[in-house]
Amino acid sequence: MENQYWRSLEEREHFGDGGGEFQESPLRQIEPDQSRRGFLKAAGFAFAGGSLIGCSRAPAEKAMPYLSQPEGLVAGRAQYYASTCAGCSAGCGLLVKVHDGRPIKLEGNPEQAIGRGATCAVGQASILGLYDSLRLRQPLAEGKPTSWTEVDAAIRSHLKRDTAVRYLSGTITSPAKQAAIDRFLTQFHNAQHVMYDALSASAILDAHQQTHDARVLPHYRFDRADVIVSFDADFLGTWISPVEFAHDYTSRRLPPDRSWHAQFEARMSLTGTKADRRMKIAPGEIQERLLRLLRQVESANAGGDEVAERLLRSRSRSLVLCGANDVDAQVIVNQVNHLLGNYGNTLDIERPSRQRRGNDRELAKLLNEIKAGHVGALFMDGVNPMAELPEPPELGRVGLVVSLAGSLDETAERAHYVCPDHHYLESWSDAEPIAGLISLTQPAIRPLGQTRAIIESLSIWSGQPERAYDLLRQKYASNWERSVQAGIVQVEVGQAGPPAKWRDGQPKPPTPPSDSSGHTLVLYPGVAMLDGRHAYNPWLHELPDPITKITWDNCASLSPATAASFGLTDGDVVRIESMELPVVVQPGQHDSVIAVALGYGRKASERFANIGPHWIDRGPTVNAKGHVGENAARFLSLDGGVLRYERAGVHIAKTRRHIELAATQTHHTMEGRAIVQEVALKELGKPPETADVSEELWPPDHPTTGHRWAMAIDLNACTGCSACVLACQVENNTPVVGRDEVRRRREMHWIRIDRYYSGTPDDVEVAHQPMMCQQCEHAPCETVCPTLATVHSDEGLNQQIYNRCVGTRYCANNCPYKTRRFNWFNYPREDRLANLVLNPDVTVRTRGVMEKCTFCVQRIQEAKINSKHNGAPIQDGDTRTACQQCCPASAIVFGDLNDSKSRIARLAKDGRQYRVLEELNVGPSVHYLKIVRQEDQRNG
Amino acid sequence: MNRRVLIGIFDSEDAILQATDSARRRGWKIVDVFAPYAVHRLDKAMGLKRSRLPWVCFALGLFGASFKVWFEYWTTASDWPINVGGKPWNSLPAFVPITFEVMVLCAGISTVLAFFGMSRLWPGRRAALLDPRVTNDRFALVLEEDNAAFDVAEVERFLMEHRAVRVEEREQEGTA
Amino acid sequence: MAEVCSPLRLPLIAGHKKPGTVTEDVCRPMLRPPSTLWWAGFTLAFSLLLLGVAAISYQIATGVGTWGLNTSVGWAFDITNFVFWVGIGHAGTLISAILFLFRQKWRTSVNRSAEAMTLFAVMCAGIFPVIHTGRPWLAYWLFPYPNTRGPLWINFRSPLAWDCFAISTYFLISATFWYVGLIPDLATIRDRLVEQSSAVSPGGLKARPAALGLRQRLFSIFSLGWNGSYRVWQHYEVLYLLLAGLATPLVVSVHTIVSWDFATAVIPGWHATIFPPYFVAGAIFSGIAMVLTLMIVARKAMNLEDYITLRHVDVMCKLLLLTSSIVALAYGTEFFTAFYSGNPYETFVFKNRALGPFAWAYWTMVSCNVLVPQFLWFRSVRRRLGIVFVLTLFVNVGMWFERFVIIVTSLHRDFLPSSWAMYRPTIVEVSTLLGSFGLFFTCFLIFCRVLPVIAMGEVKAVLHHGNGNGGPA
Repeated sequence: MENQYWRSLEEREHFGDGGGEFQESPLRQIEPDQSRRGFLKAAGFAFAGGSLIGCSRAPAEKAMPYLSQPEGLVAGRAQYYASTCAGCSAGCGLLVKVHDGRPIKLEGNPEQAIGRGATCAVGQASILGLYDSLRLRQPLAEGKPTSWTEVDAAIRSHLKRDTAVRYLSGTITSPAKQAAIDRFLTQFHNAQHVMYDALSASAILDAHQQTHDARVLPHYRFDRADVIVSFDADFLGTWISPVEFAHDYTSRRLPPDRSWHAQFEARMSLTGTKADRRMKIAPGEIQERLLRLLRQVESANAGGDEVAERLLRSRSRSLVLCGANDVDAQVIVNQVNHLLGNYGNTLDIERPSRQRRGNDRELAKLLNEIKAGHVGALFMDGVNPMAELPEPPELGRVGLVVSLAGSLDETAERAHYVCPDHHYLESWSDAEPIAGLISLTQPAIRPLGQTRAIIESLSIWSGQPERAYDLLRQKYASNWERSVQAGIVQVEVGQAGPPAKWRDGQPKPPTPPSDSSGHTLVLYPGVAMLDGRHAYNPWLHELPDPITKITWDNCASLSPATAASFGLTDGDVVRIESMELPVVVQPGQHDSVIAVALGYGRKASERFANIGPHWIDRGPTVNAKGHVGENAARFLSLDGGVLRYERAGVHIAKTRRHIELAATQTHHTMEGRAIVQEVALKELGKPPETADVSEELWPPDHPTTGHRWAMAIDLNACTGCSACVLACQVENNTPVVGRDEVRRRREMHWIRIDRYYSGTPDDVEVAHQPMMCQQCEHAPCETVCPTLATVHSDEGLNQQIYNRCVGTRYCANNCPYKTRRFNWFNYPREDRLANLVLNPDVTVRTRGVMEKCTFCVQRIQEAKINSKHNGAPIQDGDTRTACQQCCPASAIVFGDLNDSKSRIARLAKDGRQYRVLEELNVGPSVHYLKIVRQEDQRNG
Repeated sequence: MNRRVLIGIFDSEDAILQATDSARRRGWKIVDVFAPYAVHRLDKAMGLKRSRLPWVCFALGLFGASFKVWFEYWTTASDWPINVGGKPWNSLPAFVPITFEVMVLCAGISTVLAFFGMSRLWPGRRAALLDPRVTNDRFALVLEEDNAAFDVAEVERFLMEHRAVRVEEREQEGTA
Repeated sequence: MAEVCSPLRLPLIAGHKKPGTVTEDVCRPMLRPPSTLWWAGFTLAFSLLLLGVAAISYQIATGVGTWGLNTSVGWAFDITNFVFWVGIGHAGTLISAILFLFRQKWRTSVNRSAEAMTLFAVMCAGIFPVIHTGRPWLAYWLFPYPNTRGPLWINFRSPLAWDCFAISTYFLISATFWYVGLIPDLATIRDRLVEQSSAVSPGGLKARPAALGLRQRLFSIFSLGWNGSYRVWQHYEVLYLLLAGLATPLVVSVHTIVSWDFATAVIPGWHATIFPPYFVAGAIFSGIAMVLTLMIVARKAMNLEDYITLRHVDVMCKLLLLTSSIVALAYGTEFFTAFYSGNPYETFVFKNRALGPFAWAYWTMVSCNVLVPQFLWFRSVRRRLGIVFVLTLFVNVGMWFERFVIIVTSLHRDFLPSSWAMYRPTIVEVSTLLGSFGLFFTCFLIFCRVLPVIAMGEVKAVLHHGNGNGGPA
């Protein structure tokens, strides 16, 4: 595929002025000298446009045939365009897979340093936002559709030089956009740009203001850290830049240079599940613990404390982090890191991260201004304060409220004007996640509606209209083509801000928890929902939480002891002040803590009222309020200049109600079966004792002479982040079934991540195990299928022939891994726009047939066709499965066992290699690599 | 050609048995015996040969079985071999159950058809009854007056001795 | 032979019947209008049937998802009902074929209705493999037939394919066997109807089909012109013997194959070599129970007390007791092998059966199939029809649960604990089960009305049996 996405892109005509061109016939675009962009505009319009409400033309007659084939484009063959993910502010590089003008899949861009070719689940799912049928398609004035000219006129008429203009946005990583905002605000005497993050890291920046005179967020370098001590920072799950961190972290999890990771945390986080030493700690105790650590480090005397010892032993190669949004704690963290000499090594503030730039203090100030009615005009971009903040701003007191949101969220519906932004796959932009690391965003499809890039809106409102494309073209004029192709811009290092100096400051004494009675409510971002910006996304709602395995809900998770003390079990509904939530019992959580995920109970989730198959006994997906889950944001507090995610002294009350949670896994231990296998660090390298596999009943008369496809999954690397689950869903057109069907254990994901607890209730160990069809050599499913609907290929694949399947389900019953999925119904696919995301290379299955992981056979075929095309044999790595491609931990390796030089062939002989249920002699083709545990871990 | 038959109607199993038996011994030609149920040892009394149905059953059973074995081998191992669960192309043991079933089916159905053919039974065939009660509780012995030596009076007496309830003489076309 | 009389010498048929009276007694219920009791039963059965039809139509229209199945438990009610009904069927073949080979003369009074039961049961059974598929309209793909997909046949290695052949063979052979047995009786009734309609003079001969009503015409068509000629009777006897000889291994093979559906799978709790004998015994156990249930009602309703005597009940009770003990032995053996194998998965499955979430089903099964039949050790119990009737009902329930336990408890917790799940039936499934009972009883009630429930031809042959009045014993 390389040779495809390095194709030169000739950028000629302009882009983005939606309205005008929308009415034109796209065929006008297709001229002999037509560029890919033009083709994309045409095809994009033709395929997508037809399904838009308000578009009177039928798409088919506009679409085909090409008058002249755009150069280098073969219909039905995917092309890849480099871009940047905007699913969150981390800014991972992307290669957008475009099929006949439709973006259908996002792959990581290996050239870009943040994602390094990987993406997270949210990134994978964000493509569905492009085809969101409830996205705004034109500007709104007072809630009514209108034209851009009118909106622009109205807004400009409101704006006088002395209006108090406030621009409220989330973190802006795009320099171009930042410039546009600044330029826009300079028109006014009293204007201010306020940034805040719903998942705030403000305290870290404030702390560095105190300790380094620079309000920066360090760039954490887990790949350089021998010892990692994290206080409540879920850096593998949701914290700041999880994909980058997960990649760096897992690159150091094997000997010889295996890092040591201690996690102090209140709830069970993904990061906690991977820690060598995990200690439960109440949020209120973090500061004390940090202070103790600080003293130990200052006195260079660990006092027998393992964590301190290890830190002291690896000065300048260690990393101490804290996830709490608490300036005092962060100051202590900075001091510890300073004393250990980590700055400049594992923490980079020369070229700091720009992935979190929010300032909660300014947010608080702005809210007061709004309350006081001092704000004349409020522009809101990429934020949803009505749903994200503890108390919603009183927008009624603002003269002009303009929302730039792409869809009508809680805030946009209260705005005077809504000026919808493009989806990021439709727009030109750039991003600078790390100072000096610039990543470009290019459109992969013509805008589906009459939306307008914010940069352009701002330029129009500042009086000098400019196109985003032109802005970027000028900004990165040098080496433009290369930059657009690669998706990244090389900039000289000097560009970063002045080097920050260390300034001493004494830490304040720890503040004891305000109210010791009751429990502490901890609000955290779920791996799928984050701050709720993707609440419209059914894929993310149906993605099981990596820890609880619960879908379509946020729950109040309690420690087993606490739950027992209240006599609560999974699904019992409790009242936390005004909020009612089902309980989930979470081993490894601190007894004083109630943890609730943010981002639920959003207006965007109202659309799921009708999701899933319709039949007499179906249950609802949304709750009584018509939402999925409850919005817990009102329990945040904005005091002391930071958003606080803990609230002490919360009381919970039992209710009589009980609901059955939609969990994809309900049994959590391995029953002492060797399913996930571990090896102690000191055992590692010793030859493994060979498992005694019984004699074969049949002579092996099915040699695989050509390819022999197989997979290896490194359980030591896997963080359970679930990106693979979503990648697979997008790649293979897996349907969404809705809450009730999941509750009935009928989720359709082809790959699932089994999560097992072991150890003691106090010291829980967690293992993640991706589980998909094991493509057995002696597949039990094949023998029992009466119609030959599942048979074996001569390349070792267990094939499922959909159109021959009558659906006896015998194969699924006889599958020891239970990885086969049955189409119990015809799952509704009424949303024609959303259907545009379907992968044309994969059949959409109908009711009554069995389906399962195919090892992405369509990709294997593509690779084979390519190799036939250019006469070269398939190289190792030419064909990569969707789950492998997106894995931030590179835990999945796929390849040809018969190719002795391939990675898979090597890993199949690795000392850590084993196969699940090998004793059944079904000969699975998926090899697992054992988890490496610290030998002394149990008695830790 | 028409022929004259002498019919003795009996109402007990024992009577018909003995009558038939001694009639045969006396060398009279027994056309047929009619009974409402299968009377034990009556075949010996009439001196009938053993039925050849078992051969039909055996032959067609054998045919069914061997055909099925060949068919399964041909479809699975020869015509279009498909790798199913790594089992050998020719998984003979797995073919046994169906082979057996087909054998039974073939043997059973064909024997029944053969029986219908042999005994000339078919739907809607009009039943030639000697006595309406012969399918209920009466037995009938039919003797043919084949030669002059056949003395009707004597035979009648003989039948009455053997507790016949009624004796009658009848014209019959063809054979009963 | 007065005071010293072995059980074999006890009269099979009470009340010193003559062949004529047999015809009388058997035809009487057919010729008089149905009783209110019959109408009541029929109404109930037929409405159940309609319920089932509704449920199945809805399920076929909407999807198998309308059943409570899930990814882990892919079979439950569907295959449970299938195995249950096939099992019921087996008693018929046992009584008509196996006991015939063993020269058990007492079978003659019950074999006709037992065979009918077999047919109807197999019909019920046959429904489920079809409707349990995701795409029932393609269920015919389970059979090998020359097709347009190139030389694409079926997978003869799949026990499900074996099933298709076994069940259809079983149905065809049973049907043939049953019909062959009917022919002489059809003739008897035909001629009796003639006698009634046109009071024929003792001399008058040929039946005149033209003059006959529909019923008579049907009988004369299907009796194939049977006229009681002994030359035919002779072939007939041989044929009957041959069919019995074929049906006997067939009935064993059918439930053996059904058991292989499970035994050849890898799932712990299914993967057991003990299954074939265990299933066959279980099948006969449940079958006999169902025969008794029906017979006890039928003999009352159609006053056939003289034909289906206490002795018949007694003998079948003993069969129940025997098969029950075999089944009990199987239950025990399963646990032993599980424990002795040392296979953790196997061991767990059986622990889970007895103590897991479906323990209630398991213990229902054990008490109905093992404990309850123990009462039959007592002669006094065997002779109290009321009690026997209730006991057989228990056995029917117990045997249904046996299949449920085997299928569901093995599937819902197999190898990987991550995929352990529970199973809860939906209203649609329950209605389908009731519907199958509806079909069964509807057919059986109609059978009681239009056909002789007792094989007259055979009963007449054994009238003298044990009556000691010179008859061949």
